[in-house]
Amino acid sequence: MSRRSYNAGWSLTGWVFLILLLIFAVAPMLWMLITSFKSQFAALKYPPEFIPSNPNLEQYERLLSPKNEVGRQFLRYMANSIWVSTATTILGVAVAVPAAYAFARFRFPGRQALFFSVLFRNMFPAVVFLMPLFIMMRWMGLVNTYSSLIITYLTFGLPLSIWLLKGFYDNIPIELEQAARIDGCTRFQAFYLIVMPLSAPGIIATAIYSFITAWNEYVYALTFLNDDQKLTLPVGLQRFFTEYATNWPGLMAASFIMSVPVVVMFLILQKYFVRALTEGAVKA
Amino acid sequence: MAQVEFQNVVKSYGAFEAVKSVSFTVEDGEFVALVGPSGCGKTTTLNLVAGLLDLTSGDIKVSGKTISDLDPKDRDIAMVFQNYALYPNKTVQQNLAFPLKMRKVPKRDIGAKVAEAARLLEITHLLDRYPRELSGGQQQRVALGRALVRDPQVFLMDEPLSNLDAKLRVQMRSELKRFHQDLSATIIYVTHDQLEAMTMADKMAVMSGGVLQQYDAPERIFEEPANTFVAGFVGSPSMNLLPATAVERDGAVYATGDGWELVLAPRNAASARASSGPGIILGARHSSLGLHDTETPGCIQARVFTVEPTGDITFVHVDVGDSTFVISVDPERRIAADQTVWIEFDQNKLHVFDAQTEKRIAPG
Ligand SMILES: Nc1ncnc2c1ncn2[C@@H]1O[C@H](COP(=O)(O)OP(=O)(O)O)[C@@H](O)[C@H]1O
Ligand SMILES: [Mg+2]
Repeated sequence: MSRRSYNAGWSLTGWVFLILLLIFAVAPMLWMLITSFKSQFAALKYPPEFIPSNPNLEQYERLLSPKNEVGRQFLRYMANSIWVSTATTILGVAVAVPAAYAFARFRFPGRQALFFSVLFRNMFPAVVFLMPLFIMMRWMGLVNTYSSLIITYLTFGLPLSIWLLKGFYDNIPIELEQAARIDGCTRFQAFYLIVMPLSAPGIIATAIYSFITAWNEYVYALTFLNDDQKLTLPVGLQRFFTEYATNWPGLMAASFIMSVPVVVMFLILQKYFVRALTEGAVKA
Repeated sequence: MAQVEFQNVVKSYGAFEAVKSVSFTVEDGEFVALVGPSGCGKTTTLNLVAGLLDLTSGDIKVSGKTISDLDPKDRDIAMVFQNYALYPNKTVQQNLAFPLKMRKVPKRDIGAKVAEAARLLEITHLLDRYPRELSGGQQQRVALGRALVRDPQVFLMDEPLSNLDAKLRVQMRSELKRFHQDLSATIIYVTHDQLEAMTMADKMAVMSGGVLQQYDAPERIFEEPANTFVAGFVGSPSMNLLPATAVERDGAVYATGDGWELVLAPRNAASARASSGPGIILGARHSSLGLHDTETPGCIQARVFTVEPTGDITFVHVDVGDSTFVISVDPERRIAADQTVWIEFDQNKLHVFDAQTEKRIAPG
């Protein structure tokens, strides 16, 4: 078999596989979008309508308008989610950047052990920590506060963030900082004028990853919060639309709105993630 | 420009002493090469001057003033790194401007100084490029440019040419030398390449194992190496070293070894007598040795191991007892492996080292 047809065979298999994967990933999203344009009645029709006979934006108008009860509530959840996710992201980056830099640059006793203990958390499924963390939060009086979620999400996101950023700092030649210090920088200026910009893809990737994780998290939000006004989107939606009977188009429209930031960020993320993982080595 | 004084400089990493009580003075406007094998402490010494490392003990003075407690940014020293360390996310223009910007030089002056440095190094056409878009030689020029825009007191260079290919290295070598002459800059230049040091430097500081072995002008180091290390390190191929025992007989001094004996001329006999013991090491450069095809009085017998023609000179490797000698001969000479030959020593160029201390004993 020639090399060419060998490659062609593989490339065909690859395409088939990719298309299957795409259908698997995209079809639910598509169905969600289609349903969100239907009326409540049409959504329950059998056999289902693949193309809505009467498409309308009624659900979106209702959700995004603060004038009615539903809209107010939805926007409230959205604001809660934005607050929790943003705080998680900012704090996460603020902690991960210096931590990763320290792991990469400084030799201190117990460095290796500490680095692995940071990664240790990720060896267990998140739910394992649900009860212990709940008890700790109650003990600290943090149940039903955003802080409980932000702290939890930080401990979940930080290991990967630190590990990813450490890879970046490991690959930035120390001579760049030395050159900067000789060129007139303090240690700190050398870091933020020279090293930080070089690790920007890593920082952006970590930030987006933290944001998405916090944005989508359901189990901890469900357990730690009980005040209806404080719920984040994933929990809020679930309560909100299934209280009496499920309003499928409403739920789908809300879900779609909720996934927009995730999709947009993922589009950015995949570019930076690839860069973060492959290009880590900065060629001077 | 300035004078740099090393006073009993010591640097330890934990229990390991990388630089051991090094003292020497680089005079104003001198080009000094810090040379030695990899791991001997050259970079460490340079980083101590730059302030990137803290001294364990001793002192470094620039123009008579101690700089040991100053930050790198306050030392008015520029450095060129082996891997150039150009800022990858800045253009050439921005790389050159950075040290001036950090020193709050007015914008207008920055432009002028960058342009001047770029012109001097012939990189004006590259100013808008990023480092990754430059060849190795061009990056090296930019690195040099970034050092000289600031007009610092002292230039430090850590193996700046070692990442270039052989041809470019030779070219940059002469350009750097020219640059030093034109600016009469004080330069401390680190290299593991003794040839680079020999050809460029006013003085060489030869280091080994953290110890300064010898500090002198290249020709003096070549002609009067302080010890067997320097003798073996400087010059290519390196000096032939032959362990021997000095024996006094009938008023003459003989150097004897495994199956050979050489009567020492008076100047070398005096050296051998001054040795701390009977053990001595004879040192002879390839060019101070002659080869005879037939037995000749005053010569020692050897067997040819290999013959290396290089074009205008041929190197013959011969076995003398347990040692191997390299001798240069005219390329016309026909010599074959395994041939028996007789080596003639030019005793005026023979060195005698004390086998105990490995130090050279000056001829009497
Ligand atoms: N940060 C460090 N910690 C421990 N040992 C070091 C460190 N830096 C260098 N060394 C050791 O010090 C010695 C001298 O290193 P260096 O000055 O880089 O040598 P050179 O530049 O002559 O090749 C080497 O043996 C090296 O392993
Ligand atoms: Mg070095």
